[in-house]
Amino acid sequence: MKDIMIAAAVIAGLTLGVGRADAHAFLSRSMPAVGATITSAPKQVSIWYTEEAEPAFSQIIVTNAAGQQVDKGDTHIDPSNPELLHVSLKPLKPGAYKVHWHVVSVDTHRTEGDFSFTIVSRAGGSS
Amino acid sequence: VGKVARLAVASVCLLMAANSVHHASAHAVCGARVFPPTLTMDDPGVNDELSLPTIQYTPIPATPGTPPGSTMSYGFEWDKTITPHLGFAINGDYITQRGAGENLNGWDNFSLTLKDQFYCDPAHEFMMSAGVVHEFAGTGSAQLLHAGAIDTIGNTAPTLYAGRGLGDLPIGLLRPLAVTAELSYAISDSPNASPNEWDYAASLQYSLPYLNQNVKALNAPDFVKRLIPLVEFAFASPRGGPTTGTVAPGLFYEADSWQLGGEAVIPINAATRLTQGTGFILQYHLYLDDLMPNSLGKPLFAGW
Repeated sequence: MKDIMIAAAVIAGLTLGVGRADAHAFLSRSMPAVGATITSAPKQVSIWYTEEAEPAFSQIIVTNAAGQQVDKGDTHIDPSNPELLHVSLKPLKPGAYKVHWHVVSVDTHRTEGDFSFTIVSRAGGSS
Repeated sequence: VGKVARLAVASVCLLMAANSVHHASAHAVCGARVFPPTLTMDDPGVNDELSLPTIQYTPIPATPGTPPGSTMSYGFEWDKTITPHLGFAINGDYITQRGAGENLNGWDNFSLTLKDQFYCDPAHEFMMSAGVVHEFAGTGSAQLLHAGAIDTIGNTAPTLYAGRGLGDLPIGLLRPLAVTAELSYAISDSPNASPNEWDYAASLQYSLPYLNQNVKALNAPDFVKRLIPLVEFAFASPRGGPTTGTVAPGLFYEADSWQLGGEAVIPINAATRLTQGTGFILQYHLYLDDLMPNSLGKPLFAGW
């Protein structure tokens, strides 16, 4: 038991000793949400990250089921939140869409990911 | 029977416990996949990280004439990148044994790993590394050495590492699954006295961070979104000896710049149960590339 107490104290000390880090930027949440099914076409895709992103090296690309790009190519950082990126969308029809993103965080770590969302008509179909 | 027999049993048990601690080094990113540092085997990547401590508890079964006992090991591993894809690691374990004949304390032999991540296919979340691990005989404590409780003969192990995430497959909610594997052949410094050995291990992981970021947003507390349940399998097959191994189910918590992991370590067959019971392993792991990106956390030669 003494050994375990010492080990626990070491872990606690190390944890408390670690301040805020400039870690990799991973997706925290998005709008539309990852894997969401929605009934109205969004005008933009927004992604909140866990770290600040470098706008010059960060991009969000949205494609439809045929692989055609449907975003306007204007990935930009939210002026009030450096951890939030937006990209504007062309008018979207019901269907499945894929979002691919890559960002470089302020400490130069590159991360990437992708997710899908689906737009269905109010009658329930996606095409 | 007396002291010599008890010392022999203690030495074998301690050796088994010491050799079962092949704890992890670098975590790795390939495409959208993050392979976390695993505990009873290495992961397929190269990075700047520190495992401190890795704590393993191993019960030692009673044998005729010897009471049951246990070992605790307190290990560290420091991983340093030389270039972005080439790195080295240094391992050490301080071991204590209680009961089972002799009470022993001291450092195990230190080992050094040189590892190169030579392949990453981001679209298929598939990466491979190759390395060489050398255990330096004679670098452990004199007490353990005199008790015959640590290796007096070193070894060199060419090792292949691989990781494959299943995120590109059309398997719905199973896309967060990933598999990692490790295969090595430990070549003894003196094969006549200590046999060569195949070591092989694999892990199956289900990443809730991957699920939340790439498959389906979770309506759950942030704590849950950072969990990775997994199971690890690790085996050793010495030439002319029985295969031993463990299965280790567990859970990791993945913070932004550190990881806390814990697993039960269960002997997988009768040969293993002769020398160890079901124990556990805990590890606190720091990502130095995130914590100290401009000093210890970056490659020595970043432009290569």
